[in-house]
Amino acid sequence: MLSRVAWHLYWMARYMERAENMARILDVGASLAMLSAPGDTSAAIEPLVITDSLDEFLKRAEAPSADAVARFIAWDREHPSSILNCLQSCRENARSVRGAITAEMWECINDTWLQLNARRTAQPVDPAFFDWVRERSHLLHGVMQATIRQGQPRQFMLLGMFLERADNTARILSVKQPVEAQAQRQSRSQSQSMGRSLDPVQPQPVAAPTRDGLSEHYRLNAVLRSVSALEAYRDVRHDQIDDRGVAELLIFDPTLPRSLRRCVEEVCTILLALPGDPARLARRLAAHMAALLQHGALEDVERVGLQAFLERFIRNTVRLGEAVQEAYMPTA
Amino acid sequence: MTHEASCIHRLVDLPPGVFDEMREAQGQARPAYREYLAWLSSMSDVQMQSRRAEADLLFRRMGITFSVYGEAEGTERLIPSDVVPRIIEASEWQSLSRGLTQRITAINRFLDDVYHEQEILRAGVVPREQVLSNAQYRPEVAGVRPRNGVYTQIAGVDIVRHADGAYYVLEDNLRVPSGVSYMLSNRRMMMRLFPDLFRLHRVRPVDHYPALLLRALKAASERDDPVVALLTPGRFNSAYFEHAFLAKQMGIELVEGQDLFVENTRVYMRTTEGPRRVDVIYRRIDDLFLDPKAFRPDSLLGVPGLIDCYRAGEVAICNAVGTGVADDKSIYPYVPEMIRFYLGEEPLLNNVPTWQCREPDQLEHVLAHLGELVVKEVHGAGGYGMLVGPTSTRAEIEAFRAVLKAQPANYIAQPTLSLSACPTFVDEGIASRHIDLRPFVLMGREIEIVPGGLTRVALRRGSLVVNSSQGGGTKDTWVIDRTDSSVGVEAGATAVRAAATQGE
Repeated sequence: MLSRVAWHLYWMARYMERAENMARILDVGASLAMLSAPGDTSAAIEPLVITDSLDEFLKRAEAPSADAVARFIAWDREHPSSILNCLQSCRENARSVRGAITAEMWECINDTWLQLNARRTAQPVDPAFFDWVRERSHLLHGVMQATIRQGQPRQFMLLGMFLERADNTARILSVKQPVEAQAQRQSRSQSQSMGRSLDPVQPQPVAAPTRDGLSEHYRLNAVLRSVSALEAYRDVRHDQIDDRGVAELLIFDPTLPRSLRRCVEEVCTILLALPGDPARLARRLAAHMAALLQHGALEDVERVGLQAFLERFIRNTVRLGEAVQEAYMPTA
Repeated sequence: MTHEASCIHRLVDLPPGVFDEMREAQGQARPAYREYLAWLSSMSDVQMQSRRAEADLLFRRMGITFSVYGEAEGTERLIPSDVVPRIIEASEWQSLSRGLTQRITAINRFLDDVYHEQEILRAGVVPREQVLSNAQYRPEVAGVRPRNGVYTQIAGVDIVRHADGAYYVLEDNLRVPSGVSYMLSNRRMMMRLFPDLFRLHRVRPVDHYPALLLRALKAASERDDPVVALLTPGRFNSAYFEHAFLAKQMGIELVEGQDLFVENTRVYMRTTEGPRRVDVIYRRIDDLFLDPKAFRPDSLLGVPGLIDCYRAGEVAICNAVGTGVADDKSIYPYVPEMIRFYLGEEPLLNNVPTWQCREPDQLEHVLAHLGELVVKEVHGAGGYGMLVGPTSTRAEIEAFRAVLKAQPANYIAQPTLSLSACPTFVDEGIASRHIDLRPFVLMGREIEIVPGGLTRVALRRGSLVVNSSQGGGTKDTWVIDRTDSSVGVEAGATAVRAAATQGE
């Protein structure tokens, strides 16, 4: 298939997945904000921290309320990853390659865009909106699986989707971290300049250093729910929800659709199905990442620290994405 | 007894001088519309309104839109698709179709001739300088012969029906004619919304068009099972929807200039598996943008070196480069002569009578009838340097007379044609609106035309402008086999069989 088409399909799927993830992050943010003390805005800005957009938000000189943050992430034109921009980019990419997707997929994407514009004026940014975004993403995925042939267009879309998803799970997981990393983050962020850092995760103080057990429970609950893993946790662990259990599930579980391991394994499978010659570097990077997840254990993570582990994972995901682009979608 | 009035109560007899497609005098249906008009009379405004709303929704969902240049947000608009079809009887279509075949055959002979032997110029049938110094003549491709001498794989011939009920060709559109996607989408929409009507009529299908088009494109290459690609200027082009639609329907790649490159006079596309050779390019880009090395150096849409490959016979370009010389306004009057010259036949389709002011006797006629004629500048476009006699003041006519006398060779003149009208569902209900017709003529090994074509309709009352950018819409176009005539065919077959049996 045409390299340019592969590129559009890859980004089309990435943007839809990103829109869904933004909604998931806002949803978890809304839950956390409800738990925090009145006047405490640290939970409200959590979604900005996860998505690296705190700097951008602070430029607007608006008080960081949960509502303002939600509006910013959902609708802001200047925020490159706002849900509005993601869904528009998804549609623009789809429009460029209408010939490569099925009519049903195009109609789904186009209809999503039309409905979004209707919601833009009419509806608040609330859980019903987050659910809608998630549903549209699931619908597109379902329509794709039900209508498109096995072949490269499908592979490139899945590739974009799983790379984006891996990145997202790592970011959501970094919300929840051991107290010592918390303190470390806090001191780092205070000394650090507010300039744009290459480090994809921009550490910020996220919550009061001490939490009672109840709010910790709800917090972990929200994290699990945001990656559709609450039920999976109960099924797999039959146990009280705790830090280590959540990290282990979201990083190492071979069956959970949004775990890091599952996403990376999917990427490996897809890369093996695509033409091999151009993709040697991408395949090697993916296989290396997969090996660490398949044969690693939580103790390895704890040795380097969860935060550091996640940061490295996110960096590797970015590198893998670059390798994929160099392999199949070189700029002319 | 229904409480709602029939939706056709607003239809009135048209003024003399406008041909009514659906009804004869006293509101009698013409034969082609007999069943349809009976059905339409049984519908109320409300019922038609709800069908139209459904049609709009369907089109919006399918994303059948066109882009409007120079508008930021909401740059995509829906082309209004009317829910009332235009109906043509098979026998009438038969003669239209024969006329189109004859015309396009002669035009291809003409194109081959002017880029090679130039016999028609030597015979003095078409003035030499009208061709060779024409802005659309491309000396770069003189001597290049496309396979089988076919230059126009696709022609979109614009036809109108005048007050006399006869069809006239307005323009031949031989470069990159568009609109066929609306023909196909209209039919899909109508079949979904009005299955009852399709049971009532035997409408000839059109959805095999993409298959016929692909066959015509493949016939342009010498290679077995050639690779065909559709070259588009990209998604900001107003006809992008159609480009994507056709590529998808034919199962070929939709490429932009940046996807192609030239190496050793061969054309390749960049794919995820490396370069892949392209044999036929169905281009939806004008000649001058095809290759910055051969034509406009500032073109970013084309492929550097493409014309060299074309000249070397390594790639086919469809339509061929340089076809515009045959659909130019100054060449149009000669098409009937081309038909006589190359085919030795009388033209079956009417040309709009055209007076060439360069000829003294014709100029005299034009000067005597300025008040009734449309006078156009030969190389003008967009309605500049033009006189529309019936709508001009005496002073304007006199001013133009002076200009015309000074430079007669720059002008042609034609009678003002009226366009026929057809009932159309507009905001105020069912009302008559002017229409034209664009059949799509495909030429591979031989000429094939899917029955009908695209009917465009001027949605504003009294307007004659059918262009989609200026308030025009489209109609599904039906060529129907009448049930009683088909009964006749069957009866005839039975009679033949009976005769054969008797002979034994």
